[in-house]
Amino acid sequence: MSTLAIQASGRWRQTARALLHSPKAMAGGAIVLALVLVAIFAPWIAPNDPLSQDLLSPLLPPAWMADGMAQYPLGTDSLGRCILSRLIFGSRVALWVGLCSAVGTMLLGCALALLASYFGGKVDRAIGYLVDLWMSFPPVVLSLILMVGLGPGVGNVILSVIVVDWTRFCRVVRAEALVIRRRDYVIAARLMGFSHLRIMLREMLPGLVPLIITLFSLEMGVAIVVEAILSFVGLSVPANTVAWGVMIADARGVMQENIWNLIPPVLGIVVTVLGFNLLSDGVRQALDPRADSSRV
Amino acid sequence: MAAVEFHELTLSLDVAGKRADVLRNIDLSVEPGAMLGLVGESGAGKSMVGRVIAGEIPPGFAVTQGAVRFEGLDLLTLPRRQHRALLGRRIAFIPQEPLSGLNPVLTVRQQLFEHLEHVGAPKAQWRKMALDRLAEVGLPNGEAILARYPHQLSGGQCQRILIAMAFCGEPALIVADEPTTALDVMTQAQIMRVLREQQRRHGTAVVLITHDLRLAAHVCDNVAVLYAGEVVEYGSAEQVLDAPVHPYTLSLKNAAPALQGERVALPSLSDFMPAVSDFPAIRGCRYYSRCTVRKPECESQPPALLPRDEGRRARCLEIIPASGCGAAQAAPALPAGERQAKPLVEFRNVSLSYPGRSSLWKKADPIQVVQPVSFTVAPGEFLGIVGESGSGKTSMARLLMGMVPPTSGSILVDGQDRHAADATQARALRKTVQMVFQNPDSALNPRRRVADLVTQILEADGAGSEQAADRMATAQRLMLAVGLSPSALGRLPSQLSGGQKQRVNIARALCLTPRMLVADEIVSGLDVSVQALILNMLLRLNRELGIGLVFISHDLAVVRYLCNRVMVMHRGVVVETGETEQVFNSPQHEYTRALIAAVPPETGDAVWPPVLPAAAA
Amino acid sequence: MLAVLVRQVFVRALIAIPMIFALSVVVFVVLRMLPADPLAMMLPPTATPTEVESLRAALGLDRSLPVQYGIWLSHALHGDLGRSITSGETVTHLIATTLPATVELSVVALAFSLVISIPGGLLLYALNKRRGELLADSFVVLLISVPSFLWGIFLMLVLGVMWPILPFSDRFGADIAPPKTTGFALIDFLLRGDFQAWGNAFSHLMLPALALALGFAPLIIRVLRASLLEAAGEQYAMVARLRGQSDARIVLRHMFKNAVLPTLTLIGVQFGFLFGGTLLIEMIFSFPGLGNLMVQAVRNHDLPLIQGIALVFCVIILVINTCVDCLYAVVNPRLRDA
Repeated sequence: MSTLAIQASGRWRQTARALLHSPKAMAGGAIVLALVLVAIFAPWIAPNDPLSQDLLSPLLPPAWMADGMAQYPLGTDSLGRCILSRLIFGSRVALWVGLCSAVGTMLLGCALALLASYFGGKVDRAIGYLVDLWMSFPPVVLSLILMVGLGPGVGNVILSVIVVDWTRFCRVVRAEALVIRRRDYVIAARLMGFSHLRIMLREMLPGLVPLIITLFSLEMGVAIVVEAILSFVGLSVPANTVAWGVMIADARGVMQENIWNLIPPVLGIVVTVLGFNLLSDGVRQALDPRADSSRV
Repeated sequence: MAAVEFHELTLSLDVAGKRADVLRNIDLSVEPGAMLGLVGESGAGKSMVGRVIAGEIPPGFAVTQGAVRFEGLDLLTLPRRQHRALLGRRIAFIPQEPLSGLNPVLTVRQQLFEHLEHVGAPKAQWRKMALDRLAEVGLPNGEAILARYPHQLSGGQCQRILIAMAFCGEPALIVADEPTTALDVMTQAQIMRVLREQQRRHGTAVVLITHDLRLAAHVCDNVAVLYAGEVVEYGSAEQVLDAPVHPYTLSLKNAAPALQGERVALPSLSDFMPAVSDFPAIRGCRYYSRCTVRKPECESQPPALLPRDEGRRARCLEIIPASGCGAAQAAPALPAGERQAKPLVEFRNVSLSYPGRSSLWKKADPIQVVQPVSFTVAPGEFLGIVGESGSGKTSMARLLMGMVPPTSGSILVDGQDRHAADATQARALRKTVQMVFQNPDSALNPRRRVADLVTQILEADGAGSEQAADRMATAQRLMLAVGLSPSALGRLPSQLSGGQKQRVNIARALCLTPRMLVADEIVSGLDVSVQALILNMLLRLNRELGIGLVFISHDLAVVRYLCNRVMVMHRGVVVETGETEQVFNSPQHEYTRALIAAVPPETGDAVWPPVLPAAAA
Repeated sequence: MLAVLVRQVFVRALIAIPMIFALSVVVFVVLRMLPADPLAMMLPPTATPTEVESLRAALGLDRSLPVQYGIWLSHALHGDLGRSITSGETVTHLIATTLPATVELSVVALAFSLVISIPGGLLLYALNKRRGELLADSFVVLLISVPSFLWGIFLMLVLGVMWPILPFSDRFGADIAPPKTTGFALIDFLLRGDFQAWGNAFSHLMLPALALALGFAPLIIRVLRASLLEAAGEQYAMVARLRGQSDARIVLRHMFKNAVLPTLTLIGVQFGFLFGGTLLIEMIFSFPGLGNLMVQAVRNHDLPLIQGIALVFCVIILVINTCVDCLYAVVNPRLRDA
């Protein structure tokens, strides 16, 4: 009963339709979009300067509580800095790190995955060994050591994440690429005399795009968490930059007195990562070729 | 009382607001101890019958009419729990793919004992019963088998185990859904024999679902032919095979090439079996669009299953004689090939072996896939290479294409050693020999349109950077050559049928007008009518363009129809070679003889399955 | 089968040794790229250049990189990993006193993860195509989005500060004698028959282990559920249904064993993350383990200590991966044949 499958009128239209019908993709996409907007328009949205200290009003609770001030909607930290503004500006670092890290890991991981799966044999074994080697190191430890060695700075954080996490892309993409490699149309292209590079880019890569998009979104979430961990430990951004991990570290010290310092950055991280994860999931389900096949 | 009886069963599906009858007015009965063959091509609905019996009707489908009676109970109205309780005990199933039908992480013993427990055998008896059943199906070394995992056994062995399991509970009915499709020809013959013996021994009623009319006719007592969800013919096995009454049965029989008898033309049917989505629009006979002897009345009125002589029934107007579908014509001539000319392909003492899996302390022997062999292929001739899985025939294809270098010997194409060629020579070789892959789904990039695919080779370096208009013209020319409408050029592979995809595959190979094609199992898995189309097309290409072909297949009848020379391979050795008619009519080698004997014969009076000398496979 | 396992271990060990070397080189090189001068932190600002130079020579920092590595390696092979710059004690001693705590924490965390994730995965699978599925699935996605260190903070806030049910710092109360025999509190206290101490130690483990588990379990749940779904589509599951086996039995007996395989792979891959997670969790809960030690070392730029702990981490991860591979071969009969 294979004829029940809906004839595809166009791949893109079908894809767009699937995405629009996926609640996860929509929800995730909305969150990510909101985040991007907040980050871009931060100077206009934030009520105060995130770095200015109001030493006369430290550890204020949010505006709706008894001791709160309307000027500081979510209260202030121990140095009198506005929590909401810091939260908003912190999204910039988070997003920037996320985007750059994801791009970097994607390029490095996918390139190696394609090479490994296409050439097979010794190349595959060598790259596989490299991946195994890399993954023998607990990522947190490796990134800490790298940051110690490189010194603070957003660029170094990005480099750190790329160096530590490219194996994620490589492993997953390689598995899928191996399946595509064995398809007859790849062998046919080789028999037709196309060059290796052309086959990798024109025959294999397009089939991997859905998976790569899924991983990209996932990777952004991972990068944001790693950045938060690093700034929590104090190894990430220089002292005058706002990052959510730093906010959490600061808030932890004053947890007993004011829990409202802790909640916004924690929620910021969780909601952001949730957004990327939902998007990643939604995209995967919408574009998964196995979901196309009729079950009848 | 019949073991199972279908009474006017109709299974429907909602297609775009209209009701489509996936199965319509199915009227069948199987007596206890008898075997019924249910024959139909893919899309005819034969698997649905099995699902209805199992109570596994997929969501969206509903029974709108009729009853299925089993031992007095109506399976359709039976509460689900009671229905499930019958499965495995009173009604058993034999699946299509034996290797994946068994759980890979459990031993045979674990699965067999679990089943024995399910059918209520006392625990103390399990071991004895298991060994007895295994011996019955031709596995005397039961203890060893019980300890194994499925991946350590062959497809034939797994299927025997599944058959043994099915008979464990002494069921009244067994449904076997294409049980031998995934197996080799010889294994198929053995398994059919085992099934028949078991059936006689236990007196079980069996419904055998298959696409192979000849197979069903030789193994079953009665045969029902299914087309587009309806039973179009019913009769005893001999009747249906030797003298079919319905035009479709006749065309089905004729469309599959025969191994014996005169070599007749394979009629290719126009159009296709209507899809389920087309059903609501058809008011008359569902076979109307393809019938060669149709009458105007056929279009408006769906014919009923009318009784004919000798207990037969056919869904056709009485006035139409099936034999009036056109006398058998002589087949198109076999390619002759230019034997005097320089050979196009020459194998000189070629062998192929792979290194064995050696571990750190043991060097394994190399695995010999193809034993040293020498032969030639003349320009314009069709050479068939036949063998079962593991015979090395696929390796021959890879050697011919240069995908793998021979371990010894040399392969010459047009006088040029394949593996000593430089870039220019390699390019020339590509123009000479092209490959057509087996699986059309895997062979066509799902993201490219047909127009791009058929002219893909033009993009390769130096093969001619054509203008877009020229390229389109070439694409159109190729489509016509393989009998496809140029309107399909803008489509994606997912929008084509299996036969169409395979023709696009062939069109792609023809792009640079090669002198020879290498085709590895390109028609297995296609419906008989589509297969006939492609075979006739290949012969036409030979007539018009003089293209040669090396055709690799497990199907001897197809090779007989298509090729003028044949090579028979067994475990890497070429056991026999020569002119096709000669080899098939008077085979010299024992293996060839066994292979030919394993094919279900053309007429109903021959005895099949035969007892084959090989040990339990 | 024993032969296969032995061979697995052997082969893995052969691969692992050059890996450990390679990793130690990487760590070594990276740490030498420090922008900050470690010496400057160890000496008072009034130190004379000669004092600086003599300390540099004493620490071997004046030699070339390969020579430094060679020295370190030769010492390491003898079990001498140097001395910590900050505390002055031998690195080996520091590691030996803190490692058991971390191992114990990880094991308990793993146990918690399995207890949460196996029933969780089965439950999520059972909801397939039913009404609660989207909700449950999204809930799991939410759980995944919370990294373990945030779980730690959250648990500390809720169960430690707001409702002080469980202790949230140290390994056990101050009045209890530390474990001496194996170094593992839960074992030693049991051997001693001191149930009160055992309860105390366990309660101190609960929050950190739970934080780690909550970071790990949702991943297992997802993979388990995905593998079960895949197994359900396999032929043998359909055939078993046609044989009349009950759905529950098919899931538990037939499918689960197959679904466990990819799950096991994931556990092996992700264990590195779990182990790395102990760093932050131990820091948050002031748990005296290897992770905490590492964080201190990193903050203090204590090179010998960092190197030593990094090496130990690598070895542990490799050991765990080997175990997972062996376990995989045990469960998957297809890998057992030569």
